[in-house]
Amino acid sequence: MEVLDSLLLGFSVALRPDVLFYAFVGCLVGTLVGMLPGIGPLAGVSILLPLTFGLDPTKAIVMLAGIYYGSQYGGSTTSILLRIPGEAASVMTCIDGNAMARKGRAGAALCIAAVGSFIAGTFGVIMLTLIAPPLANFALRFGPPEYTALLVLGLIFLAYMSTSSLPRTLLMAAFGLMLGTIGIDVMSGHFRFSFDIPELGDGIGIVPVAVGLFGLGEILSTPSRNVKTNVVSPKLRELLPTRTEWRQSTWPIARGSVLGFFIGIIPGSAHIISSFVSYALERRLSKHPEEFGKGAVAGVAGPESANNSASTGAFVPMLALGIPTGPVIAVLMAALLIHGIPPGPTLVNDHPKLFWGFVASMYVGNLMLLALNLPLVGAFVSVLRIPYAYLYPMIIMFCVIGVYQVNNSIVDVWIMLIMGVVGYGLKKFNFDPAPLVLGLVIAPIFEMSLRQSLIMSGGNWHIFLQRPIALVLLLICVVLLGLAIYGAVIARRDWRAKLAAAEAGE
Amino acid sequence: MTASFKGEQLMDRRQFVAGSAAAAATLTVQPSFGQDAYPSRPVTLINPFPPGGAVDVVARPLASVLEPIIKQPAVIETKAGAAGAVGAQFAANAKPDGYTMLMHIVSISGFAEVDKLFGRQPKFTRDAFIPIARFIADPMVLVVNDQQPYKSLKDLIDDAKKNPDKLIFSSSGLYGALHLPIALFNKAAGIQMKHLPTNGGGPALTAILGNNSQVLVSSIAAASAQMKAGKLRPLACFGDKRAPAVPDVPTLKELGYNIEFYLWVGLFAPKGTPDNVVAFWRDASKKAASAEQFVAAMKNLGQDVAYQDQPEFKAFWDADAKRVESAVQSIGKVEG
Repeated sequence: MEVLDSLLLGFSVALRPDVLFYAFVGCLVGTLVGMLPGIGPLAGVSILLPLTFGLDPTKAIVMLAGIYYGSQYGGSTTSILLRIPGEAASVMTCIDGNAMARKGRAGAALCIAAVGSFIAGTFGVIMLTLIAPPLANFALRFGPPEYTALLVLGLIFLAYMSTSSLPRTLLMAAFGLMLGTIGIDVMSGHFRFSFDIPELGDGIGIVPVAVGLFGLGEILSTPSRNVKTNVVSPKLRELLPTRTEWRQSTWPIARGSVLGFFIGIIPGSAHIISSFVSYALERRLSKHPEEFGKGAVAGVAGPESANNSASTGAFVPMLALGIPTGPVIAVLMAALLIHGIPPGPTLVNDHPKLFWGFVASMYVGNLMLLALNLPLVGAFVSVLRIPYAYLYPMIIMFCVIGVYQVNNSIVDVWIMLIMGVVGYGLKKFNFDPAPLVLGLVIAPIFEMSLRQSLIMSGGNWHIFLQRPIALVLLLICVVLLGLAIYGAVIARRDWRAKLAAAEAGE
Repeated sequence: MTASFKGEQLMDRRQFVAGSAAAAATLTVQPSFGQDAYPSRPVTLINPFPPGGAVDVVARPLASVLEPIIKQPAVIETKAGAAGAVGAQFAANAKPDGYTMLMHIVSISGFAEVDKLFGRQPKFTRDAFIPIARFIADPMVLVVNDQQPYKSLKDLIDDAKKNPDKLIFSSSGLYGALHLPIALFNKAAGIQMKHLPTNGGGPALTAILGNNSQVLVSSIAAASAQMKAGKLRPLACFGDKRAPAVPDVPTLKELGYNIEFYLWVGLFAPKGTPDNVVAFWRDASKKAASAEQFVAAMKNLGQDVAYQDQPEFKAFWDADAKRVESAVQSIGKVEG
């Protein structure tokens, strides 16, 4: 077993006390960074990058990677407790995670998120160990047409995203898609809807919008509600999920892990999409879709697992091909480059100790994160006991600093504040902001990949049918739409039959 | 217990930089010391590209060797956006007191020309900056996907002439650092290829590796791992002489095309920065460029330090800007 030998070599590196120490530092910093709203893994990793110059490359990459996947664990904490997404991939966790917290199940939600993250992270690493190179080549076949087809699928899933009515969901999604058209037209260089503000050239950032709509909107609407702060100290047993909750989260975690990994290996900002798709999938498959948005366990377990597994999957193209899948991976690649280790097809053979040490350290890191996060659940839950009057100003401060930190841009802070007001309005009128965020995520990538595809084909739309992966994805879309229509027809016939029966009965 | 000591340092530094937003605010209310005390507080280096990008990989090692030289922290502030225009504009409007400096690449020369093309009032021109020093200048290399049959530049040009608009080249973005050199080449060779713009150097590389584009002009450093692995085949180099990293690849000049193009990274000060501060930075840059740690870091990136002091850098930049401007003009306004 070649893989086992390699992995043994890896563990011999990863379990050295000094390497373990750096893995721990990385995981700890990652958890903290993920918890602070707005300060995402990108800021954390790039700030700590210079400090690794003096380290040997294995320790450096182990620590920096720990920050990255550690932040995916931490990101769920603020989402669940305070409805503030620590980073973009945690948006979906806000919805049901926070609803669970309101029902007094914050501890359970945190536990499920941590365990789901652990299982998904470990699954991701196992896949990375076994099938990274062939998988990476598959990821390369994911060009613009395939991406377009994937996003069409994402748009169809939009309908399942929200707990509010379908017109409201679509209205929000359309608003998000429109916001996504702001910025420089990548094909012609024209500024669109930028009002002479150069910062809007790259479009509206996802983090300021997500933090504004969810976090700030929530805070602004609190004073108008009659809130009682519960100062009950939860008992240990209440912190843990019940057996039913565990059972409800088993399959979502499994599905989220697989789904997240495969979406994660696709180059591009696909890992955000993975949590959206997982949420929609769970809602579609659930026997009780009406529970979603009101604290469905599956709505926490699925997306949390998906985004963790995706963050591991994102390493595949970097390690196997030397191409970055996203901004954070780009920084990790730069770190390796500065240490004189070019990631790419030759990495495994040239630097087996580093490669396998790094892979092994992720097994260890995931265990550490579980050990780090579970005992802290009790402490995190007590945050909810702080009276809102003290808690909320602090949160607003963190939101402002965090959002500024992403791009060092004051424009982003304004966007967040405006979105906070919008979020307040949406809440008052009972609109769900999640489809808006998904629309904003999808619009720029969809536009770019669609137009890139058409450049490649010289304007011929057949390109989407000629490429096998794109064709399969589009067929899935057709089947989904077909099922929806079928369901509608059945329901209607049902209604007529009922009416007929009722009339006959009279 | 050196290990745990390092750990504590990490946390301190992290908090420190995280608070840089607050720091920026407090800096303005600090009493200004006399000119002789420069620099009396931390200096900000603006990085106009995303973390991990072309400037970041040079600026981070540079900042770490600069700190002992200038005896103040050098904080890298990422102001990414609009392909480097946001950061450049921020620096152009910064107070010219030597506490806000700009690191930028070859594309700094193109923004005003693009604005002119679109009939927009340029937000800033090259005159807004004083060149201080150039640190690296990596010649570009033209590569094709290994599934393509072209063994030489001539094969490529012949095929492109027979089938105009068949081949696709990818770039980091319209008028970006990977688009300009190939525009010059297309014009000189008299060929037409389709342009597949992406949103960065990484995606442009991904596109050619997946054979979604067939041609790419990249910096040698960014493509070297793929060239070594045989996934990309270099056909021509944009330097004035052959590059040590790819000694077998002919330059465009050897092949009869008078084109040069480099991905260089330089340090700039906003216009109006006092002479003594400029002199201070020239001196500090010179020391930093020869620091062992910096040279080693650049070597690891596959680069040689190509340091130029102000006079040479200025002459180089003037010549380079002409190339960039003519490239922008040859691309022209894209109807999309």
